[in-house]
Amino acid sequence: MDNIIEIRNLVKSYENGHIKALNGIDLTIREGEFVSIIGPSGSGKSTLLNMLGALDLPDSGYINVAGYDLTSNKKLNKFRAQKIGFVFQLHNLIPNLSVVENIEIPMFTSKLSNKMMRKRALFLLDIVGLHDKAFQKPSKLSGGERQRVAIARALANNPSIILADEPTGSLDSKTSVKILAQLIDLHRNNNVTLIMVTHDMAVARLADRVIEVLDGKLVSVG
Amino acid sequence: MSFLKFIIKNPFRRKTSAILSIIGICIGIVVIVALGGITNGLVSSFEDTIHAGGADFSISGKETGNSAYGTNPIDANWTDKIANVSGVSEAMPIYVILTSVGNDYMNTLIGIEPNGTSMADISIKEGRMFENNSSEVILGKIYADANNLSVGDSLKVNGEDFKVVGIYETGDSNMAGGVFTSINKVAEINGDNNSISNIYVKVDKGQDPQKVADKIDSMYGDNITTISSVMEMEQMADMLNTLKASSWGISLLAVVVGALGIINTMLMSVFERTREIGVLKAVGWSNSKILTMIVGESLVITIVSAILGSVIGFVATTFLGPMMNVTPTFTPDIFVQAFVVAIIVGIIGGLYPAIKAVKLPPTEALRYE
Repeated sequence: MDNIIEIRNLVKSYENGHIKALNGIDLTIREGEFVSIIGPSGSGKSTLLNMLGALDLPDSGYINVAGYDLTSNKKLNKFRAQKIGFVFQLHNLIPNLSVVENIEIPMFTSKLSNKMMRKRALFLLDIVGLHDKAFQKPSKLSGGERQRVAIARALANNPSIILADEPTGSLDSKTSVKILAQLIDLHRNNNVTLIMVTHDMAVARLADRVIEVLDGKLVSVG
Repeated sequence: MSFLKFIIKNPFRRKTSAILSIIGICIGIVVIVALGGITNGLVSSFEDTIHAGGADFSISGKETGNSAYGTNPIDANWTDKIANVSGVSEAMPIYVILTSVGNDYMNTLIGIEPNGTSMADISIKEGRMFENNSSEVILGKIYADANNLSVGDSLKVNGEDFKVVGIYETGDSNMAGGVFTSINKVAEINGDNNSISNIYVKVDKGQDPQKVADKIDSMYGDNITTISSVMEMEQMADMLNTLKASSWGISLLAVVVGALGIINTMLMSVFERTREIGVLKAVGWSNSKILTMIVGESLVITIVSAILGSVIGFVATTFLGPMMNVTPTFTPDIFVQAFVVAIIVGIIGGLYPAIKAVKLPPTEALRYE
């Protein structure tokens, strides 16, 4: 299988170089792979995930994701819209919009008609099992349900890669299992590359491969 | 859901803040519309007064100053002299006296020739014109309504019964409440056949009224004065400009206060939605889309304010104006101005918060608690 992610000697520092968040990372990830990134707080795992989603740019090194050279490409928003689906620790749904409208938000970047947007959003809600909650406000949903809406939103533009940053970090263990099962199902059924940052080793082991980041470096790739 | 619907929905997430902003801008728009209507009303009332009916200018006695109804009489034979001045198409005498009319101990009685309606800028709406030298009057609609008089009724003038033969309307607010009869009858009541109050002058087609008035001034300036509408307009233009400038000044102040309100609302909105803006960036929204969203939200607030402010300004001024003896005149340009101001305030008010939102690094925005 082809590599969907290629990273060479990636460096990112903050506060005028005093804090090295990433200190020479080399990594390749194959298309359709499920990779967990683990490491203690401040190790650089979230920075690495942000680099993969082009939310942040490296100081030096090479990073190519889904055919986009992120160090030289200027249309990063287009890359994010078309290739990446983010799932955050907090659902970050817009409170005054209905569940279905929240899923339509990423589709404003596409050329879909309003009708098509609605159709796709309802289809995605079906996939995450929340079709009956389509027209409710997020405040009426449980924590797990909101996170499932966030997963549906991540899938809105049919991304090649889902980047999940502690997606079960704010959920109880029972709900966490359901959410993880949902993510893994989506990854398997749609051949979507899934990259997940987590603290939890038990969760990390569900992945095809576990990457550990420590002090901005990959210490084990297993 | 369309992008437009999303923009329209967003400002009302924080209802209190949105309503306060709307009230702020609304006050500014009410001030613009109300002052615009009042200023226009004053200008048109002034123009009616100066215009001296359908005439180009009027002539009065030397001592009468600039009153169109100066009571210092001039000799009646001036009418023929003025009519003979080259460039003058028509000269019509008008005789205004104060006498007892109806229940009023003192009221103005205006005497004109029966064929002088167009020069006096009045038109008969009911009944007919009075006949020369008869005990007949025509009444302004306002006077007739106020005194409950109609055609066929009798009205006591200087102790004599006059028959109401007609009701007239006029664009000249000074004449709308008047009582007219024939000039000969007024002379008879006043006991002075050789005097008149003013002469209304119309110039030949193509002639400059100002030049004809200057000519009359140079010929007869020792005895009479021309009150040229053109001249008066020029003199009064400064006053009107000052009036307009002050009304704009007050409006601007109101708008600046409103604009600060909207900047504050939009800044608060961006501040509170920092994480959400981060999400929008993460899902691929371009900076221009985020900018459009925030400026659009600001415009939604100001356009709602413009609609409400225009309606409130119009209704309030229409009802309250007459109580303050002002008849407001609303022209489309007042509302166009109000909307243009609202849109400019909306763009300016939204732009700064929008630029702040666009400049937020997505990772920082997403970390925002």
